Amino acid sequence: MKPARIPLRTMLAALAAMAPRRLWLSGMALACLTVLMGMALLGLSGWFIAATALAGLVPATALVFDVFMPSAGIRLLALGRTGARYGERLVTHDATLAVLAALRERLFRSWAPAGAAWQLRLRPARWLQRLTSDVDALDSLYLRLAVPLVSACGAALLAAVVLGAMQWQLGLALGLWLLLVGMGIAVLLALRARRPALRRAAALERLRAQAVDLVAGQTDLLMAGRLPAQCARLAATEQAVAQADRQLNRLEARATTAYGMAGALTLAGVLLAVGWLAEQGVIGAPGAALALLVALAAMEPFAALRRGAVEAGRTWLSIKRLAPLVVQAPAAINTEVNLPSDGAAVELVHASAQHRGSPQWALQAVDVRIAAGSHVAVIGASGAGKSTLLSLVAGELPAVQGRVAALPSTWLTQRTELFQDSLRDNLLLARFDASDALLWQALEDAGLAADVRAMPLGLETRLGEGGLGLSGGQARRLALARLSLHPAPVWLLDEPTEGLDAATARDVLACLGSQMKGHTVIVATHLRREAETADRLLWVEGGRLRGDALRGTADFDNLLARLRDDATAPAVHAMAKGF
Amino acid sequence: MKSADLHQTARKPRAPRRRADRGTGWSVLASLLWLPQAALLATAVQWIAEGRAAEVDGLALGLLALGVAKAWCDGHGMRLSFDAARTELQTLRAQVVQALASSSPLDTQRVPSGQAASAVAEQAEAIVPWLSRYQTAMWRTTVVPLVLLLAVAWQSWVAALILLMAAPLIPLFMAIVGWRAQAASEAHMVQLGQMNAFLLDRLRGLTTLRALGAVDATAQRLRTHAESLRQRTMRVLRIAFLSSAVLELFSALGVAMVAVYVGFHLLGYLEFGTWHGRLSLGEALFVLLLAPSFFEPLRELSAVWHDRAAGEAALQTLQRMASGAQPLPGAQVVTNAAAAPAPEPTLQPATAAAARVTLQALQVQAPGAAVQLAPIHADIQPGEHVALWGASGSGKSVLLAQIAGLLPSTQGKVLVDGVPMADDTAVALRRRMAWMGQHPHVFAGSVARNISVDRHDVVSADMGPAMQLAGLGGVLQARPSSSLGEGGQGLSGGEAVRLALARLAVATSHAGVLLVDEPTAHLDPATAAQVTEALLRLAEGRTLVVATHDPLLAARMDRVVHLQVQEAEA
Repeated sequence: MKPARIPLRTMLAALAAMAPRRLWLSGMALACLTVLMGMALLGLSGWFIAATALAGLVPATALVFDVFMPSAGIRLLALGRTGARYGERLVTHDATLAVLAALRERLFRSWAPAGAAWQLRLRPARWLQRLTSDVDALDSLYLRLAVPLVSACGAALLAAVVLGAMQWQLGLALGLWLLLVGMGIAVLLALRARRPALRRAAALERLRAQAVDLVAGQTDLLMAGRLPAQCARLAATEQAVAQADRQLNRLEARATTAYGMAGALTLAGVLLAVGWLAEQGVIGAPGAALALLVALAAMEPFAALRRGAVEAGRTWLSIKRLAPLVVQAPAAINTEVNLPSDGAAVELVHASAQHRGSPQWALQAVDVRIAAGSHVAVIGASGAGKSTLLSLVAGELPAVQGRVAALPSTWLTQRTELFQDSLRDNLLLARFDASDALLWQALEDAGLAADVRAMPLGLETRLGEGGLGLSGGQARRLALARLSLHPAPVWLLDEPTEGLDAATARDVLACLGSQMKGHTVIVATHLRREAETADRLLWVEGGRLRGDALRGTADFDNLLARLRDDATAPAVHAMAKGF
Repeated sequence: MKSADLHQTARKPRAPRRRADRGTGWSVLASLLWLPQAALLATAVQWIAEGRAAEVDGLALGLLALGVAKAWCDGHGMRLSFDAARTELQTLRAQVVQALASSSPLDTQRVPSGQAASAVAEQAEAIVPWLSRYQTAMWRTTVVPLVLLLAVAWQSWVAALILLMAAPLIPLFMAIVGWRAQAASEAHMVQLGQMNAFLLDRLRGLTTLRALGAVDATAQRLRTHAESLRQRTMRVLRIAFLSSAVLELFSALGVAMVAVYVGFHLLGYLEFGTWHGRLSLGEALFVLLLAPSFFEPLRELSAVWHDRAAGEAALQTLQRMASGAQPLPGAQVVTNAAAAPAPEPTLQPATAAAARVTLQALQVQAPGAAVQLAPIHADIQPGEHVALWGASGSGKSVLLAQIAGLLPSTQGKVLVDGVPMADDTAVALRRRMAWMGQHPHVFAGSVARNISVDRHDVVSADMGPAMQLAGLGGVLQARPSSSLGEGGQGLSGGEAVRLALARLAVATSHAGVLLVDEPTAHLDPATAAQVTEALLRLAEGRTLVVATHDPLLAARMDRVVHLQVQEAEA
């Protein structure tokens, strides 16, 4: 993906648009309210005690002292603070979850256009993993940066107003000091933590890849005598993670100390100031108690920014990586497929195609017309251009030169792609309004109905990752049933029995054969069993169409003879004996 | 998160540390330093009330000094606690890596690589926040409220009583609410994990979704799924957050009641509750200032509680991965990188000379599987090429693995040039073998790294011929340093086999035995023929054992061994 520069504002605006504005704002407002009420509770209590202590000295004043308002206020603040805090936590989490929900849909859609889907296939599993950790890291932006920032500013403002009411210069100075130091420490922390945070993210990714290599590549490493080296490599990476972790901890600890010291300075400074004000007769002991307690609590909310600031580098990285996906979909390649002339299902006129990032032609100057209702096998070695031809027909890949016209098609991919969902939902992907009767009919046709009936949950049976829970043959049959539900007149089958043993493959092919009627079927294959039932063979090699033979011709038989047949027993059986 | 389902059935993890780390002491000290600070603050207000406002300078200085000391203790405690917890994680990760490396690759109980990786990398990260904060929070909760309570009681037993009444109610209510909250926060994490899994699952199958025209509907489903998850999660959180709301409520009410009691006491309405007459302003304020700090450790503990679920889950997963696995012969020698001396002098230098492989009454048995074959006796001559032939599942691959010592042989022996495969000989014997598995792993790294597997004895000069031989032409050869994706996403099936062949080729410089598993499976005829030729060229003058069901390949061998599954006796 090209690193298109997207302004931060655009990205933030896109993210902000994913949850209702009232959620964002009320979350911050409630957070702020929580902090303010906490400060007010402490300040009011201090004032109340100081005032009552003074009033209590003289019985006459003690009797007329209005205890109702302050004590009611204290109780109100105590309850209000609890309520605000509860509300804050609910609302902020709701907002974050709303963004996560919307973001996932957006990410999915951004990869859905033809060209993008093709690019996605080439991306390693690691990239997808990184995508989710990026999405998770976005939480921090709102919960640990935006929300604490607003409440900290609110706290500074309240402290400034309280002291400003006694003397405005003092309030102004305190407000500025709090903002400057409170934000300053957070900004400094974020800046200094940026590099270690990025290093940590990268090292963790490395750790992950190396762990995959260790487990999946264990035999290769072992036989090469490199297993100890791989363990050492993992240990070194863990050391790197540990070092970055340690650096981040040191920075956070230093920030904790800095906030503590700033708090102490604030308190000492305010004490000196109220002492001076009291000397001047501007305030009495209750005012002093109020000012001191408010000052005491004023630095605390800023300290809540620490974690967000430490993670800021990581958050920034995920914003940068996600921005192109969120703000603009990856450029869809124009793959409009025209409709072919009457009687044809597919027409390629001098069509050439190229894969992204590859200098070679994947397919060069191919001319072919496939009649509607025919059954064609595209044969050739792996990498010859079979799948590319199917992609052109499906409109997944644009023709760089020439013209492609085809009827709407559906594609059975080489690797059976089933989803972590119920059997029913896997089938419904092909036709959303399909009735149960239709689904069962499709399963019946695919020879899977009996198996499904035997499952306790029937159509509601949930599949694991990649169709886990089904055998290879069952998974393929399910994919076939799904294919048959789809209304497209053209079926593209990419090595439909790859990876199945001979007996199962035979069953699957027989079942496929019985369902093909009324469809144009194009099979890409290098297996004889998949090609021998075709009406026509197209031989592709090196991206060019080298042969085209109709059933019944000698060419057809010659081409077929090139294909591998691993279904029949070998002659070597005769010489095979046990030891 | 992703493997949350993994640890539901397992036993409770043992907490790795019961002893408090040194950081805890400093953190507790920092909390206690508030006591003299509060005293100074209260005194200052008292002095102002008494008209001694000019004398507060000294108090301000004291406050500052104490504040600085408190801040330092806090930071220092954080550092020490972190270090202790981080060391713990490092040990744990090392143990897991050792366990993964020294378990047999054929172990059926093995965790899939993706799951193992996320447990070792991401999930394990949850351990440090938990371990580093949990102990500290526990100690603070034990020590600090008690000390503060004594300090308050020293001034006023009623105020202390108010706090004492509020405090035990908190754990009680928290236990009631927290009961559900614990389950809720776990459910919350699992559901977030599911949301990720859903997206990844659909992105992986995007081609199919496009082919079925189901993109839009899937996007909508993704949205509804996420929205319903959100609603369910919120319903759960509403209860979960109640537990902290209870805590907030009681601590706020505790402070408020102390404030109101003290106020009324000072006005003379509530004369009781102290040891010697009415409290002074300073004493009263001191009591008030201690009240919020009394509840503070509890709040901290409840925050740490949130880390606990994730931390314990991660710990459990890692501990399970670190224990109980089918051992790999010679694993101790293999994985102890630090302890392993340079190759022992008694080892014969690995040569490419063909070796004789003898199987003595070897029982072929996959871990956890039933015995299917009669014990095998075989003598494979140096330089002989042998095909293992049999239906899938007949034990070809297991036999190969047993020859390579990837699996302990329960019965019978494998001898290479007369040396039996055993724990102490496995490493040396494997050095004489070269291996090509059925599903060669494509390492994250360059083509060159993938071919040499980081062997030091492979020089770049070897690489070219190996790639040539394997037919690994075109793009890959042009850019030997280009990086391959995880799981070989960037390679076609044929290319992956060629890569494995090149890997085999560079390994043959010291190996006299080639063990090859299904090299031509799933290849088109042209590629299969090329692979067969290349393999035969490599095997010239070496012993070759190849498991296959490709008749063309089998026909080129000197001997075909038919592994016949025993018929069940009637």
